[in-house]
Amino acid sequence: MISSIAFRNFRALRNTQVRLVPFNVVIGPNGSGKTSLIEAVMRLSTLSKLGLGTGEVETKLPGGPEIDVTFDEPFAGVVVHMSCVSDVRCDALRVGVRDVGRWPELQAELGTIRSYVLDHEALARVARRGDGAELGRTGDNLAAVLAHRRDHAPAAFADLTGEMLRLMPEFRELVLTELPEGGVEFGLRLIDNGLVPAAELSQGMLYLTGILALAYDPDPPRLLCIEEVDRGIHPRMLRALRDLLYRLSYPQASGVARRPVQVITTSHSPYFIDLFRDHPEEVVISHKHGRAATFSRLIDRPDLGELLRDGSLGDMWFSGILGGVPEEG
Amino acid sequence: MKVALLSESPADEAALRVLVAALLPDALQYVGPGYRARGWPNVGQVMPSVLRHLHFNTDAEALVVVVDSDDSVVHSPAHDAPGYFHPQCRMCQLRAIYRLTTRRLPPAQGRDRVVRAIGVAVPAIEAWYLCGRDATVSEAAWIEGQERGRLPYDRADLKRRVYGTDRPSLVLQTAVAVREAERHRRDPRRLENDFPGFAALAADLRRMPPRTDAR
Ligand SMILES: [Zn+2]
Repeated sequence: MISSIAFRNFRALRNTQVRLVPFNVVIGPNGSGKTSLIEAVMRLSTLSKLGLGTGEVETKLPGGPEIDVTFDEPFAGVVVHMSCVSDVRCDALRVGVRDVGRWPELQAELGTIRSYVLDHEALARVARRGDGAELGRTGDNLAAVLAHRRDHAPAAFADLTGEMLRLMPEFRELVLTELPEGGVEFGLRLIDNGLVPAAELSQGMLYLTGILALAYDPDPPRLLCIEEVDRGIHPRMLRALRDLLYRLSYPQASGVARRPVQVITTSHSPYFIDLFRDHPEEVVISHKHGRAATFSRLIDRPDLGELLRDGSLGDMWFSGILGGVPEEG
Repeated sequence: MKVALLSESPADEAALRVLVAALLPDALQYVGPGYRARGWPNVGQVMPSVLRHLHFNTDAEALVVVVDSDDSVVHSPAHDAPGYFHPQCRMCQLRAIYRLTTRRLPPAQGRDRVVRAIGVAVPAIEAWYLCGRDATVSEAAWIEGQERGRLPYDRADLKRRVYGTDRPSLVLQTAVAVREAERHRRDPRRLENDFPGFAALAADLRRMPPRTDAR
C-alpha cells in the first residue's frame, strides 16, 4: 500500500522520511512523531474521500506542513502531495497526484484506512446492535461488531472464537447477550460454566479480544494503524499478538486467502521488539532531537548483526545504542 | 525423574518434551511452568536464578536447557579437554554457568544438586527438524560453511524449508516441532550423528541417575 512518507514541518517531523513495508512497528520516545505518522496517514485517508484538487497546489502556506506519500504497485506511479493551504486553517490540506488515471482506485482503498487506540473501558462497553460492523477507534462497539460477525460472517466468527478460546483456555464460549432497547454486550463463559461479562474481564483479555476482532475481520481495511499495540498484554502472550498482526500483513503465511493489510503499530515494549530480530526491516525507530523528530529503519543499521550477537533487540533499544530513547536532562 | 525445561519458545519446549521423554531412562514428571528465556544471551542470564530456584524451592532433579547457536562458535571435542572453556561457544558458556552456580549451593530438598542436560542447536532448532529430511543440513555443513566464510543457509532459509514461510505462527511452529520431534523420538540416531549439539544433550540425559527412592 504506502511505500514511503516524506514530512516537512508536520508537527515535530520537520524534515524526515520513512519507508514502510507490509508490517511496521514504530518505536521511540513520547513526542517523537509516532502518533504524527499515524495522523498523517489518517489525514490522507480523510482527504482522499473529499475528492481531488489535481495538479500543483497553488496556495500553500510558506513553511507550512507538507507531506508526500508514495505507494507500492499497482499505484507506484502515484504521488500524493498534501500541503497546508492557509495559515488560518492549517488542517485544510490539499491532495495533489501524478498518474491521475489510477487515482479513483487508490482513493477507494485509502478510504478504508483505519486507526485504533484501544481502550479497555471502551472495549467492555455495552454497544448498540444497530451500530454495524465496524469497531470504533477506541474499541467501542466491540460487542455489536461481534454480534454482526456472528450473524453475517459466521465462518470468520467461528475462526475468531476458535482462536480466542485457544489463547484464553480458561474459557469455553464467547457469549453475546441481547439487552433491552437494542443493546448488546459480550462475555466469556468459563470452563466451569460461570459467565464473566466484558466489564469484569481483565484488561489484557479485553485488548486481546479487540485485536482478535481486527485480525479476523472478514473485510479488513487496506491499512490498519494500532497505537500501543501491546498494551495490557502479558509478555508471554506477545508472540501470539505478533502472530495475529502477521495474519493481517502476511495472510499467505497463515494460510489465509485474502489481500494483505498493511499494518503500522507503535510499541514501548522491549519484549515485543525482541520478536522482530529476524525481521529488522519491520522496525522503524523515531528519534527525538529537541522539538524535532526523525525516522530511521533498523535494517539500515550496518552493524546490526554484530549488535545482536551480544544482546537482544529489546535490550539494545533500551540501552540507547539504537536511538529512539527519551532525552534525559 | 522430575525435570524442568528452560527454552526459548513454547514451540521449542513442545519439541523438547518429546525428545526428553525419548531419552530419559526413567519415568518423567515436569516441574514448573516451562521456564522461558528471550533468546541469547538472556538464557545465560536467567539460568543461575532458575537453577537456584529449582534447587531451593522445588524437588526438581534435572534442568534441561536448549539454545540456538546462531552464528557463535560451535562446540567441538577439543572444548571438552579438562579445564578448557571456549568463551564464544554457547555449550561451554552454559556448562560454565551451571558449574559456577551450583558449586557452592548447600544440599537442599533431599539432594545435593539439580543435574543439568544442555543442548545447542546449530544454528537453530529448525536444523534438527530438517535432519533426515534435508541431507544438506547438518552441524558439519554449518561448520564447514563458517570455515569457508560462506554459510550454507541462514535462520530464515531454515524456517522457510521447515514451515514454508519465515513468519510461521506459533501454532504452526509448535505443530511442526512436535511432528519432527516425534519422528526423531522413534529413532534418534541420525539426529545424534548429524548434530553433536543434540548428542551432548542426549548423553547428559542418559547419564541421569535413575531414581533410587520413592520420593
Ligand atoms: Zn564449547
